[in-house]
Order: sequence, then C-alpha cells, then structure tokens
Amino acid sequence: MKTLDELREYYDTDLKLDLADFERQRQKIVTHSMIVFGALAGAGVLVALFLMLRGLPPVILLFILIGCAIIGGVYYYIAGLDYRSGFKRIILPKLIAFVEPGLEYRPEQGISKELFRAAGLFLHSIDRYKCEDMIQGKVGKTEIAFSEVHAEYKTTSGSGKNRRTEWHTIFKGLFFIADFNKDFHGRTVVLPDTAEKLFGLFGQTLQSWNSSYGQLVRLEDVEFEKEFVVYGTDQIEARYILSPALMERILLFGRKAGKKIYLSFLGSKVFVAIPVQENMFEPKVFSSILDFNVIAEYYAQLQLGVGIVDELNLNTRIWTKE
Amino acid sequence: MAAILIVIIAVLGVPLLVLAVMYNLLISRRNQVQNIFGTMDAMLKKRWDLVPNLVAAVQGYAQHEKSLFENVTQARARAMGGQMSPNEMVQYDNAVSQLMGVFRATVENYPQLKAGENFLHLQRTLNELEEQISAARRAYNAAVTDYNNAVEMFPTNIIAAMFDFERKTLLEFSEQDRRNPDVGKIIR
Repeated sequence: MKTLDELREYYDTDLKLDLADFERQRQKIVTHSMIVFGALAGAGVLVALFLMLRGLPPVILLFILIGCAIIGGVYYYIAGLDYRSGFKRIILPKLIAFVEPGLEYRPEQGISKELFRAAGLFLHSIDRYKCEDMIQGKVGKTEIAFSEVHAEYKTTSGSGKNRRTEWHTIFKGLFFIADFNKDFHGRTVVLPDTAEKLFGLFGQTLQSWNSSYGQLVRLEDVEFEKEFVVYGTDQIEARYILSPALMERILLFGRKAGKKIYLSFLGSKVFVAIPVQENMFEPKVFSSILDFNVIAEYYAQLQLGVGIVDELNLNTRIWTKE
Repeated sequence: MAAILIVIIAVLGVPLLVLAVMYNLLISRRNQVQNIFGTMDAMLKKRWDLVPNLVAAVQGYAQHEKSLFENVTQARARAMGGQMSPNEMVQYDNAVSQLMGVFRATVENYPQLKAGENFLHLQRTLNELEEQISAARRAYNAAVTDYNNAVEMFPTNIIAAMFDFERKTLLEFSEQDRRNPDVGKIIR
C-alpha cells in the first residue's frame, strides 16, 4: 500500500487535473442550488405574507418554508447525482488503483447478504440489507474483498392505524473478507468483550453460558482477554489460528483504528467487521475536492480495509497453505 | 403426609443434585484435559515422523551435531514404542525443537539448501506442525488450569477430595520454546 506522502505527490502531479473538472461541476451545483434555495425561500415568504394578510395564522410561514426546504433539498440531491456517480466512476477507481494496484473498485456492488450472514458474527435475523462500494483484488499473496454494509431488522408495534415500524441497525460499517494464511475447518469468532470488562471473573462465567457462538475459548493473553471474547468449535484450532503473535496484532489493530472490531475465522477465511457511522467513499458536494485533506480522508477509509492484510500479517505464508 | 414427603425429598434431593452437578463438572473438565492431550499426542507423533527426514536433510552439513541426531533418534524409538507421560513427552519434544533449531541454522549457513523444492516443503511442514503443537500445548494448559481450579476451589474441592481428583501439572516449556519464533529468519 502506498504511503500518504506518495499519494500527495500523485495528487499534485496527476489527480489534480481530473479533479479540476469535477470541482467546476461541483461549484456549478452549489451555485445553482443556492439560487434555487434563495428563489424558493423568497417566493415562499411572499406567498406566506399574502396568505397572512388574508387572515391565516402566522404559523403558515413556517409550514411554507419547510415545504420550500424539502423541494430545495430534492433539487440539490438530484443535481448532485451525476456528480457523485461520476466521481465514483472516475476518481475513486484511479485513487484505489494507485494506492494498491491489485485492487478494483465496483461502486454498485458489495459483500453479499449470504456471506455477511455466513461469517456468523451477527446472529440477529436481517430484514433489510444494503451494501455498496466493493473493493476487491489481491494484496501481495492475499485475496481480499471489502465493502460498506448496512444490516437492519425491524420491529412493529401497535395495530391498525397506530401500527408503527421501527428499523434497528444490526451492523453498519466496513465488512472485510480475506483469504487466511492457515487452513482450518471449524469456526472461531472473536468479539469485543463487554461482560468481562464490567463483571470480571463473573463476566467470564456469564460468557461461558452464552453458547450460541460455540464453546468459550479462554486465552492466556490477559490484555487480549480483557478486550475480546473468543468462541469456537474447536479449542485447539482456535489457538492454532489465534497464535500469541496474532492476538497482539489484533489488539494493536483495534487500538490503532480506535474502533470495536469483530473477527471470525471460517473456511480458511477471515472476516472482519468494523462499525463505521459515516457513509464511506461518498463525495461531499459542499466541500471543495481540491483540498488534499478530502483525498486523505478517502485514503484513511481505504486503509481501514486494505491495512488489515498488513496488520494481521496475512501475507506471511510459512505454513503449508500457500 | 404429602408435605412431609416433599420436605424429605427436598432435604435429601437438593444436596444430592448439587453433589451430582459438581461431580459432573469435575469429570467433564478432566475429560477435556484428556481429550486435548490425545490430540496433542497425535500432533507430536506426526512431528516425530518427520524426524528421519529432518536428520537426513541436515546430516551431511552439520557434522558436529552428530550426538544430538543420535539422541533424538533413540528417544524417538522409545517414544513410538510405549506411552509417555505428558512431561516426558514434552522433554522429548524439546529435543526435537532443538534439532529444528539446528535445521534452521543449517539452512541459514548453506543457502543452496534453500533452493531445493523438498527442503522448502519440509520446512513448511515443520512450521505448520510447530504452530499446531504450540496451539495444542496452550489448549492443554488452559484445560488443566480449568480442571485444577475446580479441584482446588470451594465448593468443588470437597467433591474432588472425596473422589480422589488430583491436581494435574502444567506442561513446562523450554527456554527455547518460550522465545518467539524469528519469522524473518525463517522466511528470508
């Protein structure tokens, strides 16, 4: 993976030219949106004043302004569609190909719901599943794929007219799959630990009762045990995968990313889920893209996924799996 | 009459039930230890099967380690013959680890060895087995710790004393094993 400094150089010499076109398009959208907003607001106020003179209560102004804001928002969204898809079609693939030449970007695709479920990290049944921004390819010797994923379930309450549906997030963020450097047959799951942090030894007992993930695997790395809980189908295999070195690496990776991380090992593959709140790889129409910091942000998002290969040392192939 | 019966059942039944649960816990932990020991045993034997190949591969190059080769080969014959206790097994296994150290050093000193397809394959197989054995040892020690906790902690220690559940010893690792493997050196 290229460094941020190398990216800066590429940005100055190459990327900036392409970005300039997009910047012009972006500014046009912003100006047009401003004009539309202004015109709508002005017209709205006039209509409201007219209606108020006719004897309607002043609150009508508020309603009309909210209506105008909605129309303006829709206009802004539609006007930006072209720009956003163009950015994803032209700029991001270039950026990704530069940062890690073995990778390909497919904005419309993502990790499938079946794979997401097969990983066995989130057991709740899924009612709505969205995925986009698939990045796929080879980093060194390791085949990887990751995308943005949003899985939700719904609850309904009340009946008849009062029936209400609420959506709850199961997972939203980056979902990553890679070929692991060792062969194994069972399933091992590494989850962020909450029970042990809160209740100590009693928490461990609680964890051992939670059998939906498999047997509790107690590891000897104290630091690791504090932050993660491990379940598996095979005690020895779990330790074969989670060597002392890998435990250390997972701990460091979690701390560096500053996020909770979920891992599962299944079918000689590793699945990593990292919760991320914001919409990733999405161009923002209201801030200039000629600012390198914006590009650096995409780089950071990319690094979160691609970096896993190095962080977990997946390119080390000294065991029988090549 | 019915009330008295219930009281009698409660007075006798509840302690018996508690007793049974604790006894079963001890048994299940002991079985876990034996189960993992079985797997470890199988893995160690797999590695011992490689010993002749290992010796053949480096013998010509590391003359001054001759006595080590002989010791390991003899110990292997003993090990394959009969049952060994966990600690005897580890002792022998440490000797094999030493042999692997020699193997690696030889590879370092004779770069032409590294080019051979067979050699690379042997090296990968060894790394694999070593990783699996170390996992099995860690699992064994974790299972023994669980079992020992049950044997020594109140209230299961009472049952353990009644039915002669004895503390098991953890596997000792040699200094050499405790060191982190130098991955860079192996794959260079």
